Amino acid sequence: MNLDFTSILPSLPYILRGIGVTLQIVALAGLLGFLLGIILSLFKISSIKVLGWLADAYTSIFRGTPLVLQLMIIYFGSPQIFGYQIEPYVAAVLAFGLNSAAYISEIIRAGILAVDKGQSEAAMALGVPYPKMMLNIILPQALKNILPALMNEFITLTKESAIVTTIGVMDIMRRAYQVGADKFRFFEPLLLAGLIYYLMVITLTILGKVVERRMRRGD
Amino acid sequence: MIKIENLHKQFGKLEVLKGISTTIKEGEVVAIIGPSGSGKSTFLRCINLLEKPTNGRIFIGEQDITDKKTNIMKVRQNVGMVFQHFHLFPHKSVLENLTYAPMKVKGQSKQEAEKIGLELLAKVGLSSKANEYPGRLSGGQKQRVAIARALAMQPEVMLFDEPTSALDPEMVKEVLDVMKSLAHTGMTMAIVTHEMGFAREVADRVLFLDGGVLVEDAPPSEFFSNPTSDRAKDFLQKML
Repeated sequence: MNLDFTSILPSLPYILRGIGVTLQIVALAGLLGFLLGIILSLFKISSIKVLGWLADAYTSIFRGTPLVLQLMIIYFGSPQIFGYQIEPYVAAVLAFGLNSAAYISEIIRAGILAVDKGQSEAAMALGVPYPKMMLNIILPQALKNILPALMNEFITLTKESAIVTTIGVMDIMRRAYQVGADKFRFFEPLLLAGLIYYLMVITLTILGKVVERRMRRGD
Repeated sequence: MIKIENLHKQFGKLEVLKGISTTIKEGEVVAIIGPSGSGKSTFLRCINLLEKPTNGRIFIGEQDITDKKTNIMKVRQNVGMVFQHFHLFPHKSVLENLTYAPMKVKGQSKQEAEKIGLELLAKVGLSSKANEYPGRLSGGQKQRVAIARALAMQPEVMLFDEPTSALDPEMVKEVLDVMKSLAHTGMTMAIVTHEMGFAREVADRVLFLDGGVLVEDAPPSEFFSNPTSDRAKDFLQKML
């Protein structure tokens, strides 16, 4: 096997600059997905049936179609949806955020249902109103339980973000591919991209463990 | 103080409470006893509307709490509840468990809430545990914290739903002692319990429920020595 990293070495900073792009998309999409996921999960457990149906329909659609399709629909469809062409970067954040909200809402819903019913009764008996009860009592306990599942979702998001390449976002993946096309050597830059993604996922995993340990201090 | 009129509660087709009427006076300690499935817990849980009565009315003071216009949250701030399984907030320290509702619901300042919280912890003998998490406490300690947490809202009425049933036998006394001293402060208390000795010693009145009906309503001296109904006689024979 002939591996020669020296020829792509000058392009290394160029590829590494993609880390920032990928991280930004993942962080913003993760945040959007998380916040929207919480709202959707509250809809799902709400006693108002219409809200539950809406959230279920949302989840069904975003889970039932390919992510790359959603990305392209949002990007190429934006002139018809919003009236102007949005940036690829914005389309990526929207698509990933909206998509992961569907998955995260199911994770959070399961987490909320797993919290002992006595917790909400105790809060109610103290006269704590529903929004505060959810925010201060139920969600913190739910999040602790679902942290591993949430971490999984963020890891998936990090890796799947590579498909933004298809709409021309200059992330790690696209840069690696471009360097390959430039030097007529694809193997080395792609290996390098793989290593970068892997290190990012490992970092996320460690981060998740640290947070989990902190949250378990009360046990 | 608490007036209950013809209270009915149905779960689907199951009729759990079949028209209960009684009055609990201010400062009175009432023990609610009866076989399992008799509706004692449901009865208690109706008083702070954790269960919504199907029919009948409940007055706390002058206020009809079954009235649709009544603010349930306001009512509950005034009625403390202690559960069989404690239900402390596991992600909050002992002191935070006590200060949470007074701060978030009543708008007390942190200093004020902590001052009251620490006083209450001292009263239940757990000052040293203020910064522990509930997971590190024994059952008896948890229940004492739960009592203090309810008291932190400075309620006028306290409801106890089998407060010692989930405890190891050697921890029952420490909880009952706290309840006893609370009774001596003049707190209005309704206690669902299987502790007959406690009911006899501390309660001003015993309500005996069976099959969703209030079968006996008498002072403990009368109830325990001279139960009128066969059902109560039978029950006491098994318990004592």
